Amino acid sequence: MPHPFAIWLSGRDFKMFQEYVFNVDHGYLEGLVRGFRSGILDRTDYLNMVQCETIEDLKLQLAATDYGNFLQNEPSPIAVTLIDEKLKNHLVVQFRYMRAHSVPDLSTFLDYITYSYMIDNIILLITGTLHQRQISELRSKCHPLGSFAEMESINIAATPAELYSAVLVDTPLGPYFKNCISETDLDELNIEIIRNALYKAYLEDFYKLCQSMGGETAEVMGRLLAFEADRRAFIITINSFGTELTQDDREKLYPTCGKLYPDGLIRLAKCEDYEQVKAVAECYPEYANVFSGAGTNPGEKTLEDKFYEREVELNVQSFMHQFHFGVFYSYMKLKEQESRNIIWIAECIAQRQRAKIDNYIPIF
Amino acid sequence: MGSLFRSEEMILAQLFLQSDSAYSCVRELGELGKVQFRDLNSDVSAFQRKFVNEVRRCDEMDRKLRFLFNELEKVGIETRKAGNITAPDPQELIDLESKFEVLEAEVKEINTNKETLKRNLLDLIELQFILLQTQSFFQEAEQYSTLITGQEPGGIERGVISDTEEKGLLEEGRARSDMGLTSQTNFMFVAGVIAQERLATFERVLWRACRGNVFMRQAPIIDPLEDPTTGAMVFKVVFVLFFQGDALRTRVRKICEGFRATLYQCPETQAERQEMSIAVTNRIADLRAVLRTTEDHSVTQLEEIAQEIDVWQQKVTKVKAIYHTMNMFNLDMAQHCLVAECWCPVEDLEEIQTALVRGTEESGSTVPSILNRMHTPDDPPTYFKTNKFTKGFQNIVDAYGIATYQEVNPALYTVITFPFLFAVMFGDAGHGLIMALFALTMVIFEKRMQGSGGEMFGTFINGRYIILLMGIFSIYTGMIYNDVFSKSLNIFGSNWNASYTNTTPDYVFPSDCSCPDVCVLHLEESETTILPTQAQLFQDPYPFGLDPIWQVAENKLLFTNSYKMKMSIVLGIIHMLFGVILGFFNHIHFKRYINIVAEFIPQILFLLCIFGWLVILIISKWIIFYEDLNTAPSLLITLINMFLKFGMSPSVTCDDPGTDDCDFDDNQYSVFSPTAGAADAQKFFQIFLVIIAVACIPWMLLVKPIYLYVQYKKNKKLGYSRQIDTGSDLEPNDAETEYIVHHEDDEQPKHKSKGDEELGGQIQEEEHFEFSEIFVHQAIHTIEYCLGTISNTASYLRLWALSLAHAELSEVLWNMVLKIGFSGVSTKLFTSPVVFIDGIAIFALFAFWAVLTIGILLIMEGLSAFLHGLRLHWVEFQNKFYDGAGYKFAPFSFEAILSGKEDE
Repeated sequence: MPHPFAIWLSGRDFKMFQEYVFNVDHGYLEGLVRGFRSGILDRTDYLNMVQCETIEDLKLQLAATDYGNFLQNEPSPIAVTLIDEKLKNHLVVQFRYMRAHSVPDLSTFLDYITYSYMIDNIILLITGTLHQRQISELRSKCHPLGSFAEMESINIAATPAELYSAVLVDTPLGPYFKNCISETDLDELNIEIIRNALYKAYLEDFYKLCQSMGGETAEVMGRLLAFEADRRAFIITINSFGTELTQDDREKLYPTCGKLYPDGLIRLAKCEDYEQVKAVAECYPEYANVFSGAGTNPGEKTLEDKFYEREVELNVQSFMHQFHFGVFYSYMKLKEQESRNIIWIAECIAQRQRAKIDNYIPIF
Repeated sequence: MGSLFRSEEMILAQLFLQSDSAYSCVRELGELGKVQFRDLNSDVSAFQRKFVNEVRRCDEMDRKLRFLFNELEKVGIETRKAGNITAPDPQELIDLESKFEVLEAEVKEINTNKETLKRNLLDLIELQFILLQTQSFFQEAEQYSTLITGQEPGGIERGVISDTEEKGLLEEGRARSDMGLTSQTNFMFVAGVIAQERLATFERVLWRACRGNVFMRQAPIIDPLEDPTTGAMVFKVVFVLFFQGDALRTRVRKICEGFRATLYQCPETQAERQEMSIAVTNRIADLRAVLRTTEDHSVTQLEEIAQEIDVWQQKVTKVKAIYHTMNMFNLDMAQHCLVAECWCPVEDLEEIQTALVRGTEESGSTVPSILNRMHTPDDPPTYFKTNKFTKGFQNIVDAYGIATYQEVNPALYTVITFPFLFAVMFGDAGHGLIMALFALTMVIFEKRMQGSGGEMFGTFINGRYIILLMGIFSIYTGMIYNDVFSKSLNIFGSNWNASYTNTTPDYVFPSDCSCPDVCVLHLEESETTILPTQAQLFQDPYPFGLDPIWQVAENKLLFTNSYKMKMSIVLGIIHMLFGVILGFFNHIHFKRYINIVAEFIPQILFLLCIFGWLVILIISKWIIFYEDLNTAPSLLITLINMFLKFGMSPSVTCDDPGTDDCDFDDNQYSVFSPTAGAADAQKFFQIFLVIIAVACIPWMLLVKPIYLYVQYKKNKKLGYSRQIDTGSDLEPNDAETEYIVHHEDDEQPKHKSKGDEELGGQIQEEEHFEFSEIFVHQAIHTIEYCLGTISNTASYLRLWALSLAHAELSEVLWNMVLKIGFSGVSTKLFTSPVVFIDGIAIFALFAFWAVLTIGILLIMEGLSAFLHGLRLHWVEFQNKFYDGAGYKFAPFSFEAILSGKEDE
C-alpha cells in the first residue's frame, strides 16, 4: 500500500510535489536499484574477461564480480546457453524482488516493463508453432519475466482473431492486439507485422503512462521511449526493403512517440533504400551520429551496435536524475546489454573467434 | 617484553621452496598458522596463475561435496564431525576425485530412479483420484438421465453452472443429455489433473477457445501431492471435460498440454472403471513397496557418506587453500623453485623453520627449503598473541583501530580499566553479583556453549570474561557505594553517633543545603539536622565504603552526588594522565625524542597545572574539616576564577548583597585553611600554575615545526654535498639518519622500519616538505589537545551521571514495586491484614520486580554503561597516545579457514 500521505498528496493532484514524497514509497527500491547498478561490470572487468582462454576462465572471472558464485553448482563443462540462462535468472530474481516490494505507481511501471517480454514470448511461441515445434520445447526459451498463464495454449489459435479472442483478451496485451485482428492468417510476414504493431501500441501506451506520471519520470522515460520508438521506426524501414510490405502498411507500424514523429516518420515511410533512410537521419543530430559510423565493412560497427551504444548512453544518463522510475527501466536495459556482452564474449571464446571478441558494448 | 604490551616483532622473510616440496611445506605452514603470505602476483588475473587448474579441480570437488551435503540435508542425516585431518598428498587428490565422481553418479542415479518411481506413483495416485471422482460424475449423470425423462432437460448443469451462464452450454447440455438418453457414445470426454492455481485461467481459456462447447466437471484432491522433481507439495484438481467432435478434441488436448494438465485414459463403462481401479490400487501398493526399498537403499548409502564427508570436506578445503597460497608465489625458472614472501613473528621463527624441515622431509626432497630474512620499508602487520581471556579486550581496542606496528597496546590496561569504569557506572553489588554469576556459568560451560545460541547470545559468550570482570568489579563498587539492590548492608554497624546533642542552632542547615560536602545528616524522626564535630568525624569512620546510616538520611542524594561527581573527575584525570604517559613510552620506543620535548612535556604540564591541581583541591577538601561552613570554598568557582580573575579573589565582591547566592559567587577562602594568608598563598600559586599552563600552548604549537624545519634546512645542505661523511655531525637516531640510511641502503635497515614513519616519510621526500602543512597539522593537534583536556574531563562526568541514574532507578523500582508488597496490600483493603492476599501480592510483585530488575537495570543499564565505558576508552583515553593505523596479521592457517573466520 502506498503511504497515506502520498495518497493524500496524489489525491490532491500535486504532481509538482511528487519528488518530496518519492522516498516515502519508492525510496528503498530506488536505493536498491542504484546499488544493483554499481554491480554492473565495468571496463576492467571486460578487459579481464576478454583475456580468458576458456569458459572455465570466464567462470572464474565472473566469480570475482557481482555475479559471485552463480555458476558454482554447475558441473563443467559449462555451455554458453547455461550461462545465458543463469544470467537471465540472476536478473529475474532481482526484478521479482523489486516488483514484490513495490507499490503503485511503481508496480504499474514495473509491470509495463514486463509487457515487452510478453510480446517477445508470444511472437516466439507463434513462430515456434508455425515451425511445428513442441510447446514444451519452446517453453524453456521464453523469458520468465514475460510468462503468463495463457501463454502456452497459444498453439490452438490459427488466426490472429482467434489468438485475440481465445488467448490474449484477458492479458494486459489484449488492448494492444486489437489492431492486428484484421490479418487473415499467421505466416512469417504477418507475425512480424503483429510484433511491430504490438510494440507500437505498447510503446505508445507506456509513453502515455509515463507522461501521466509527470515529473522526472516523464522527462527521463520520455527520452528513453522516444529513442526506442525511433529506433524501431528506422529498423522497420530498413528491414522492410525487399519485402511485400507496402509503404502505407509500414507507416502504420511506426510508433508515434518518438522524436521523428510526425515529419520524420512521413519521410521515412517514403524511403526506398538505405541511403534515403540515412538522409532522413541526417536531419536529427543524434541519429546522424548513429548512422555516420555504422557500416557492414570489417572495422565498422553495425547499425544495430551503434543503436545499442546510444541506448546504453541514454540509460546511463538516466541514473543522473533522482526521484523517478526511469532508473528501473534503465537498469533492466543495461543489465540486458551486459548479458548480451557476456554471451558474446563467451561465444567468441567457445567458438575460438577471438578476432571479434572486442565487439561488445561496454557500459561504464 | 609482554606480548600484549607491544605487538610481536615481525620480519619479512623470503622462502625458497623446491617445486616438489613446496606443497608439503605450505601444508605444514598452514597447520602451524603463523605465517602471512604476500601476494606476489597481484597484477596477474585469477585464471592466469600457475596452479589455477588445481584450484579448479578443488572447486569441482567442492561442488560435488556440496551436492552430497545437500542430499544429506534433504534426507536429514547428521554428518559425523571428524577431528583435524591433515591435507592429503597431491597424489591422493586423484583418488578423491574419482571417489567423488562415483558417489555423485550413484546418488544421482538413485535420485533419478526415485524420481521416476515417484512420478509413476504420482500418476497412479492421480489416476486413482480420477477414477474415484469420475465414478461419482458418471453416476450422477446416470441418475439424472433416468430422473429427467419427461422433465426439463439441462438439469444436470444446473447444479454446476449458474443460470447466468451463456446459453450455448445450456443448449449443448440439453442436446447432450438428450443424446445421453439415446446413446452414450456420441460425446467424448477427457479426464485429467491440473494444478489448482492454473484452474481458473484454464477454464476461461477453454470457454473462450471452444466457444462454450465444452462441459467441465471438477473436484479438488484434498491432500496436496508431492511434485517429484522439486519435492514441493502442490494442490491439484481432478477434471473431466465433455465435448463432441474430433476438432474440439484436438483443441482441448492442446489447451490441456498448454496448461500442463496431465490427461489419463479413463474407461467408459463402469465395469471397466472398477476393474481398473482395483488394478491401480494394487500397483500403487507395489510401487510404494519398491519406493520404500529404494529409499532405504539411498538412506544407507547417504549414511555411509555422512560418516566420511567431513573428512573429505576438510581435505578438499585444505588442498584448495594450499594451491591458493601457492598461486601467490613467484616461480623461479632457473632454480626450479618457488619464491614466497611472508611476514612472520620473530619469536616463532624456530617453529617455522622446523615446519619447513618437516615439509621437506615429507616430500622426500633432498634440497632443503630456505628462509631468508628480508629488509623492507613496508610496515609489518600487527600481531598480538591473545588467549581466550585477553581476546575480548583486544577486540574492544581493535574495534576502534588496529594498533600501529609495535605501539603501546591499550588492551593491556583495558583489561582492568574497562571493567572498573563500567563498575563505577554500574555500582550495585546485587546486580553485579547476578552479572558475575551469569558470566561465571558461561565461563564454566564455555566448551559446551561455544558456537551455540545465535548471534545475540553469541556476543555475550564471546565477551564472557569481560562480563565476569564487569560483574566482579560491580560487586566491589557496589560495596563501596553500599548499594545492594538499592539497599545498604549494615555489616560493621553504623558508626554514626546519634546521641550527640545539638546545642548550636547555627549549624542547623535547611535540608536543601547546597553545600553537601560536610556530613549533614538529617534524621527522619528527629527532624533535626546534626553536624558532627571534627573529633567525631575523624575518630571512628565506617571501615569500608559508605556508612549504612546514609540510607535513612534525607540528604543522602546530595552527599552521594557530590562524592560521585568528584570521584569521576579524579578517576578521569588519572586515566587521561596515564594515557599521556603511555604516549611517552611510544616516543621512547620509536625514538621520536623531539616529541618528548615538544609534545609530551607540555602536554603533561598543561594537564597537571589545571586538572592535576583540581584533583589536589578535591582530595584536600575531602580530608580537611571546616569548622565554619561558610569557609568551605566552592571548587568550581575556584577553578573558574583561577582563569577569569587570574587567581582567586581575596575579598567578597557581591553585586547584589540581598541574595544568599553571593556567598558562593566568590571564594575568599583557601581550600587548605580558612586563614587569609593561606588564601593569598593559594592565589599566588594558582597564578603560577596558570602561567605555566598558558605557556605550554605555544610550546606545543611551535617547537616541533620549527625544529623540523631547521633539520630540513640542514639536511638539504647536506644533500648538496653528499660526499661529506654522513653521520658525523648529526644525532645518531633522528629522522635524518633514516633518510640517509634509506638512500644509501646499506647499514641498519632494520632500524629504519622501527623509526618514525611520519617524520621519515616527510623528510624522505624532500620535495614534499612544506612548513605550512606541518604547522597546520601541529596546530590542529595542539588545539585538539588543549580543548580536549577540558571537554574530556567534563566527559568523565558521565561516570557520575550513569551511576546516579542506576542508583535512582533501582531505588525507584524498590520503592514503587517491592516495597508495596512488603508493606502489606491487604491492610489497605481490609481492616486487618489477610496473610493469604499478602502472600499472593508479594509473589506477583516480586516477579514483576525481578523481571524489571533483569530487563532494565541489568540488561539495558548494563548495555548503556558498557557503551559509555567503551567511549571513555576509545575517545578520552586512547586519543592521548593511540595511533591505531596498523593492519592485522592474518596468517595462513587451516584452522581459521575451516572455521570460516578468515577475513578476506
